Amino acid sequence: MQEIRQARFELTSAQVFAALFVSMCALAAIVIGSFPLAASIATVFLFAGVHNLMEFRYFAARMPVRWGRSRLFYSFGIGGVLVLAAAYLTLYFSSGNWLWSNDSWLWLTASWNTSFILWLAFLFYLRGRQRPRSDWSWAFPVGFLLAGLAWIIPQYWSLSLVYIHPFVAMWFLDRQMRRTKPEWITAYRVGLASIPIFLVLLWIGLARQPNLPDDTSLFWRITQHAGSEILPGISSHLLVATHVFLETIHYFVWILLIPLIDVKAIPWRIERIPLFSNKFGFPKLLIGALCIGALVVAALWFGFAVDYTRTRDIYFAFAIAHVLAEFPFLIKML
Amino acid sequence: MKRIVFAFMLGAALATAAFADIAKPQKPTKAKASIDSLLHISLKSDAKQARLIIPKSQLAQLRAQLDQMGGADDTAAAVVSGTGMGNRLPTIVGGLFLSLAIVFGGIWFARSGKLSLRTNSAIVVLIIFTAIGSAATFVYGNAGPPPEARSITGKMFTQAVHLYGFGSGQIKLETSDDPDQPLELIVPNTEDGSGEE
Repeated sequence: MQEIRQARFELTSAQVFAALFVSMCALAAIVIGSFPLAASIATVFLFAGVHNLMEFRYFAARMPVRWGRSRLFYSFGIGGVLVLAAAYLTLYFSSGNWLWSNDSWLWLTASWNTSFILWLAFLFYLRGRQRPRSDWSWAFPVGFLLAGLAWIIPQYWSLSLVYIHPFVAMWFLDRQMRRTKPEWITAYRVGLASIPIFLVLLWIGLARQPNLPDDTSLFWRITQHAGSEILPGISSHLLVATHVFLETIHYFVWILLIPLIDVKAIPWRIERIPLFSNKFGFPKLLIGALCIGALVVAALWFGFAVDYTRTRDIYFAFAIAHVLAEFPFLIKML
Repeated sequence: MKRIVFAFMLGAALATAAFADIAKPQKPTKAKASIDSLLHISLKSDAKQARLIIPKSQLAQLRAQLDQMGGADDTAAAVVSGTGMGNRLPTIVGGLFLSLAIVFGGIWFARSGKLSLRTNSAIVVLIIFTAIGSAATFVYGNAGPPPEARSITGKMFTQAVHLYGFGSGQIKLETSDDPDQPLELIVPNTEDGSGEE
């Protein structure tokens, strides 16, 4: 007896995810490439505070109630975030101090960069010690190499951090997806592979564009942030578009994609957070911190509406804390 | 431990007193950093060397600006950077960290037990390529700008110098007594593009 099978074309959820990811990247590239300054202003206004709150929510969900044998790792990680963030803010807000010459300013920022790199190297080393049959002491030579570069070419080092930061979010998503949605990982990596293509298309399209206007302090800050002063030979239109494109993807990852693949990261599922639901947890403290976070987001929106430029400056100064906080959690996931 | 913390606190307290004793420098008067002028560039085939003619009246204005800015030395900056190592410090510390990277990288590599005939060969090849690359930097480091950019002539305005981005050459600075004359740059423009370098 013959069996007749009808071949049906069915889209899997992973294929839909890949298609949506690539489509969103394409749309973002077109809009941002056409209106980079407006896109920068709009994305920071809409998503900057929200993505920080979502990150905090995600880290809270990943934080164990008892640190156990990770006590040293978490102590050093969180302690480093607090100390480095405080030092950064001190440097930032005391810039222009009459006691500091340009040289003093340079070596103080280079010292901060060195501390940051060595902190990271030690975190890698500690993580390696927790993994069986792993020796991650290679982190020290790599750290020293990066520290050397941070002293020799400090301006490129600082700029590279601006451009590397969005990729950290993509790395988080990759690690999280391997744990909670492994069936999407190939589709996600296809989506990731499309990002360099969009970047190359943006660069081809914008390389010969004239520089963006920087006659207002806000536009000047946006172009400076993207590195127009450090890379004067490259069109600031291209630099701002590249930066905003990557930042937008990173907002998209934190606000939408991570909660999509990790039920513990869905904002309203607070009972999934061990620090909240465990009998040894700190539910009141956690609720309080989340409420304060929500208030800060509202305050940021208000601030952006009243004085966008000043609020943007303040936001990006304090945002160093979330940049730093990402590393202990990311390294812990490796 | 308590002693160390106490020593830190004492040091920090004394440091603030020390900084507080430094007199705050007087804010420099906001001198205009430039004076408005007009530059006239003329290409002359009979000129042998580039000349920049500055009217004495404008020199007087410039001197006045310099006199005004003379009191704006940043003494506080000298106090903090102090040692005069400002420019060299990044290179020294950067070099130190690069050396540490090589030392620690070597120790890690030796400890990791990855030394074999194959890896040794790879290291030797890497060292040879690095040496060749380093030698290449000497070659390129000594390469000068294109000939058009090495002297101030009419060829300074050609595409070759535009691509290179800048040029330089000797120039004579002269003054003029005529108060109505604009700043004038006289550029030799001979057929062969020669000028005194």
